[in-house]
Amino acid sequence: MNVRLIVGTAKGGFVIHSSDRQDWKIEGPIFKGWKVTTSARDRDGTFLVGTASDVYGSAIHRANDPLGEWKQANQSPQYPRDGGRKMNQIWRIVANGDSIYAGVDEAGLFRSTDGGDIWSPVAGLNEHATRGAWCPGAGGLCAHSILIDPTNPKRLWCGISAVGVFRSDDGGESWQAKNDGIPVILEDKDHPDIGYCVHGLVASPTDANRIYRQDHVGMFRSTDGGDHWERNEEGLPSGFGFPIAMDSQTETLFAAPQESDEYRLPKEGRLCICRSTDRGNRWEEMRDGLPTCHSYEGVLRGAMVTDHLDPCGVYFGTTSGSVYVSVDCGASWKSLPCRLPRVLCVDAYVDG
Amino acid sequence: MVTVDIQLPGLLAQVGQGDTLTVDANTISGALDAIVEIRPTLALHLFDESGALREHVLCFHNGTNTRWLDDLDVPLVSGDSLLFMQAVSGG
Repeated sequence: MNVRLIVGTAKGGFVIHSSDRQDWKIEGPIFKGWKVTTSARDRDGTFLVGTASDVYGSAIHRANDPLGEWKQANQSPQYPRDGGRKMNQIWRIVANGDSIYAGVDEAGLFRSTDGGDIWSPVAGLNEHATRGAWCPGAGGLCAHSILIDPTNPKRLWCGISAVGVFRSDDGGESWQAKNDGIPVILEDKDHPDIGYCVHGLVASPTDANRIYRQDHVGMFRSTDGGDHWERNEEGLPSGFGFPIAMDSQTETLFAAPQESDEYRLPKEGRLCICRSTDRGNRWEEMRDGLPTCHSYEGVLRGAMVTDHLDPCGVYFGTTSGSVYVSVDCGASWKSLPCRLPRVLCVDAYVDG
Repeated sequence: MVTVDIQLPGLLAQVGQGDTLTVDANTISGALDAIVEIRPTLALHLFDESGALREHVLCFHNGTNTRWLDDLDVPLVSGDSLLFMQAVSGG
């Protein structure tokens, strides 16, 4: 077994790997000085990463080995010249069969059907009837969450901060806002179906209609593919947070609550990961091994992930550059011996 | 046309197949076109969605900031160089 984490930070990426999930080797940086904003792996095993720079823009790169040679995509996601939109960051890459999707800032969705070399806009979402009313949140106008129904790849969901969740049932041709049951945060007078601030999405691997949503205004669940949402945050110290992760074997959920949108810090200076083993009905705080005080580091939306092994490994990085590992489904944690730049994303890849 | 040496900063060298290249061109504008013709993946890093040099990308022609020029149709002579730098302000 080989577990590889690609940890993207504000100043490069790091590859952290282990054959037993006990002894970890930290290598890198890759893309030194670049933001590494997300990573993914396609069905052929090729790795993809998104890089960004405030100076040099953003691009997608591919490699067979994350510590090997990376090659920039010949045509990374780009908006048309003089179209009035900027490509600021690749927020999420999701591979599904022949298609790979990238969610970006300024908000939009792109698709590649050639393994990630050439990317084309998903016009049905990018030119949605409500597009003119989309407004950025504190983290920008970013399309950061992408779900694909494993039994029907024509069913897609995309989450956009300060806009909401959209679903397509026709492979991305058309999209409908899906936010019923979520309190609006930024009401638009012409488009009442937008103005909802989704922070993260995960879906059940056995029933794509069961979706969990970390939203700006709390933790929610849908059992009908997003048509309706209900609040599920019993046991959470706060409904506010960014990442949400799931162990696909047991459908155990993980979240990283923070104290309110105003403060955006761990409550009382205690870094906290919460877990739900009953599909979000109840949450419990999982603090064993985490700092007990003076810990004011956050966990960004892409910075927590599971490895889907048994028992489940859970990994997260913080805004202070710490990386924490649990190999017992969140029951206990240990920090790795590193202080990286601000951690933007953590993704796990298992071989063998 | 004359051959011009191009120097790239460290971040672009990582994604641009090295920190130096040479292009054949008659003018600065022509050299910029030649750079992205030889290394197409540099285009999105050097130029924004309007087609202009990115706001914080500086290009120096023999030590002169090309932003100070009226236009980029400046003739090149053999031995000229273009140096790209990241505009950095503050500490």
